[in-house]
Amino acid sequence: MKRLLSWRGHPPIALVARLYLGWVFLYACWHKLLHPGDFALDIATYQILPLSLVNLMAIVLPWLELIAGGLLVIGFRTRAAALCILGMMAMFSVAIAIAVARGQEMSCGCFASQGLKEDPISWLTVLRDLGWTALAAYVLVFDRRPLGVDGWLMSRKEKAPASV
Amino acid sequence: MNALNQGWVALRDAVIITLIAVVVGLLSNELREDGIPLVQQTEYQILVPCPETVGEAPALPPDDPALREPGTLLIDARPAADFSKDHMEKSRNVPYDYLMPTDPSAVTDILKSGARRVVVIGDGSDPDPGEHLAKELSGKGIRNVYFVRGGLPAIRAVGGRP
Repeated sequence: MKRLLSWRGHPPIALVARLYLGWVFLYACWHKLLHPGDFALDIATYQILPLSLVNLMAIVLPWLELIAGGLLVIGFRTRAAALCILGMMAMFSVAIAIAVARGQEMSCGCFASQGLKEDPISWLTVLRDLGWTALAAYVLVFDRRPLGVDGWLMSRKEKAPASV
Repeated sequence: MNALNQGWVALRDAVIITLIAVVVGLLSNELREDGIPLVQQTEYQILVPCPETVGEAPALPPDDPALREPGTLLIDARPAADFSKDHMEKSRNVPYDYLMPTDPSAVTDILKSGARRVVVIGDGSDPDPGEHLAKELSGKGIRNVYFVRGGLPAIRAVGGRP
């Protein structure tokens, strides 16, 4: 396990995963930030959260997606951002799986408030989300020296004692 | 820093990121003109798609002799409560719901019945659940599906027996 964790090939692979996941989340948050009312309706359609929490979720979640997605792209607080995204993806996967299992014919609401015909949920949606969850888990577990701001800060920290 | 410490740092930072998102989200919602109330007071109107009535189902007059022919399967599309009060003899109750697809097992039972003709009876209202159920059944591949124009009240009006 230690050898697997310290393999030097992880950072470049994780960088690709981070850029992809970061882009997905930055793209996903855009419409939700612009139209919080539509996003609240999307959340309500799942019929999972109590009404009192629907709007709070609609207000906070897009900002969490924006911040976590942005941090993942620049590689700052990378593992924390990956943990946030892992949590969100796990939550989305469970919500969609419940809706599909209930037989709810509805739009995913993942990227924009599209109609049922353009963006229907299915077990494929659950599979897609589980794939993204796995990517976030990979970054969290294996990207110990991220290519980006974190990596640069680590290098500076390691060089600092030698220069004193 | 060992792996456990790194894990705790990641968890701590994730909590901080979440708190920042909460504060920024609440502040921006407060400042923007189209912000939404923090707690929704009235239920959201969730739109549920109606089942598609894609098939063709011709109308039969209420006194059509086909209603009483042996090969005809009579389906009553009205709610169960109405069906229990009054219904045609040998008719089966398959209540039609405008918001939910018809129970697949009911459709299977109709397919297995071996009837030569399926006649759906509604309440004659506008829209008529009998007409909608007939079109839904037709759309699901059942042949020779008809509905009674005017539904059960029309059958009663022309002297149709229970």
